[in-house]
Amino acid sequence: MATDAVTATVATLRQREARRASAGLWRDALWRLRRDPTTLIALTVIGVMVILALAAPLLGDGFFHKTERDQDILSNYTKPTFAQPWLWLGTDELGRSQIVRLLFGARVSLFIGSFGALTALVIGLGMGVTAGYFRGRWDDIVVWLVTTLNSVPLLYLLLIIGVLFRLEPLPFAVLLGGLGWLGIANYARGQTISLREREYVLAGRTVGCTPVRLMVRHIVPNILPLMIVLGMIEVGQLILTESAISFIGFGIQPPTPSWGNMLTNASQYLGKAPYLIYPPGVAVFVTVLCLYLIGDGLRDALDPRLRAGSESRPEGRDGGDRRGQGLAGGTASQGLVHGRAGGPHGRG
Amino acid sequence: MLGGQYDITPEDRIALRESLGLNDPLPVQFAKWVWNVAHLDFGNSFYYQRPVMSLILERVPNSLQISLAALIVTIAVGIPLGILAALRRGTLADHGIRVFSVGGHAIPQFWLGLMFVLTFGVQARWFPIGSMNAVGIDCGLCWDRLWHLMGPVAVISIAGIANLPRLLRTEVLEVISQDYVRTARSKGLKEQAIIAGHVLRNALIPVVTSFGTILLVFFSGSLIIERVFNWPGLGRLTFEAAVNKDYPLVQAGVVISSVLLIVSYILRDVAYAWVDPRIKVR
Repeated sequence: MATDAVTATVATLRQREARRASAGLWRDALWRLRRDPTTLIALTVIGVMVILALAAPLLGDGFFHKTERDQDILSNYTKPTFAQPWLWLGTDELGRSQIVRLLFGARVSLFIGSFGALTALVIGLGMGVTAGYFRGRWDDIVVWLVTTLNSVPLLYLLLIIGVLFRLEPLPFAVLLGGLGWLGIANYARGQTISLREREYVLAGRTVGCTPVRLMVRHIVPNILPLMIVLGMIEVGQLILTESAISFIGFGIQPPTPSWGNMLTNASQYLGKAPYLIYPPGVAVFVTVLCLYLIGDGLRDALDPRLRAGSESRPEGRDGGDRRGQGLAGGTASQGLVHGRAGGPHGRG
Repeated sequence: MLGGQYDITPEDRIALRESLGLNDPLPVQFAKWVWNVAHLDFGNSFYYQRPVMSLILERVPNSLQISLAALIVTIAVGIPLGILAALRRGTLADHGIRVFSVGGHAIPQFWLGLMFVLTFGVQARWFPIGSMNAVGIDCGLCWDRLWHLMGPVAVISIAGIANLPRLLRTEVLEVISQDYVRTARSKGLKEQAIIAGHVLRNALIPVVTSFGTILLVFFSGSLIIERVFNWPGLGRLTFEAAVNKDYPLVQAGVVISSVLLIVSYILRDVAYAWVDPRIKVR
């Protein structure tokens, strides 16, 4: 009996395995994601956060009856209490509702993170793929640019820009994206260099595909999955950078709440109102953590090398590619940059 | 120009523009600046009215104290954790280290610093809430300095410690299945000797590369951590200069920190060749 049960289970598993093998990359990824509780939870948390952020003005008017700028000097330094909804997280030195400000801050942080990452993805993919495809002079320029930008401490550079310009959310997002594409470009370049030698690209070339078509239709779809993973991680990194720059006072400027500048404020009242310091920090931490977990989960779901199970993993796509596995984690995209030492670098 | 309370004559303005070199065309100004920088002359600070270079040289050692201490702590804690995670794969320790890695990446450093100041400084009063020395004590590297160092170093090291074990774990797992490790085992070496002499030596090679990233994190982090802990280092100097719109000082701060970063990259590459002698052959 027991043996029968086992055989039956094995049979179903085989069946499932077979069905999965026939499914396409994206459907297979979905199949995997649905069975990954950590990623699902992280996705839910981010989803709820995005909805709350989008609904912040509605919630402010209809539920909390406060906007992010309403001051109420008489009830300043109110400790968090359940007495009224707008006091759930207490008030600051001007009697502004912290929960409403937190929700409005989420709008800024999530917008900057996602829009910045999109910018980084577009620039990085464009630069990396063209550099890897055309090689030559253009490749030298891109590599030089990446190496140079990589040796400037980002926060110091942003400090200079913050001194010269007052940063509104949109230009700030574009700026962060414009400085954050290095890792993505490097990875896209490495992958393109190995993919352009593949038979199907050669076949495309022999039937007369233009370079643009080869890149857009044959190379980019192959690196897109991992680009999405890198993009997710980038969103998290940009949210961290934004909060840090806003914290030191050179990012989003005070009337507009952001998680970073709420902490600037809180740090001035450590003794009097210590409760102010927890919510924005926890918000950043949870958001970034969830984004990293989603990135991790997506990588597991999308990486074709992991598909066949861990034992029969095909050989790396080319020498030194191994290093590319360290995708997850905060400094991952930079890890990839520095992982070049043994990688597919140079033309020889 | 200065709020009208100082009577500035047009002649003064012209003289000031002349003395700051603002009458030259922009490319000439830039060329002059680059020329001077090449001679390590960043001009005078607007705010302190002193040569920028001497201001910076005063602060660099303070910043290096934090970075070096953080590097030592990161290596001392991160490498054993990485080996532990690899050798005890799948156990509670491994999972714990993984959770710590992901968490350590996601936590904003400055917030961690603020929490440290709030919890251990303001509330528990175990650690000082900022600065380098207690009032009236300046003894170089003594107990008082170490006591003040602990907060910033702990906070900065968290980022490095989150990075290192994860990388090292992958490498150790890969090396441990190599033939030479099996050979070492079969000739009866002690487990510690195998780990230290055969596994670690090879697993460390790619890890050295990751120090570039870790150093970058330290340098960027110092800007904010020095502000949180009120540490008189290069980061805080640059930050305060930015607040005061003291452009020569900000420029110099960025250039010097970039140079320090590049120098540490070079040191990393030297260390790379030292850990992996095959590099020299290539």
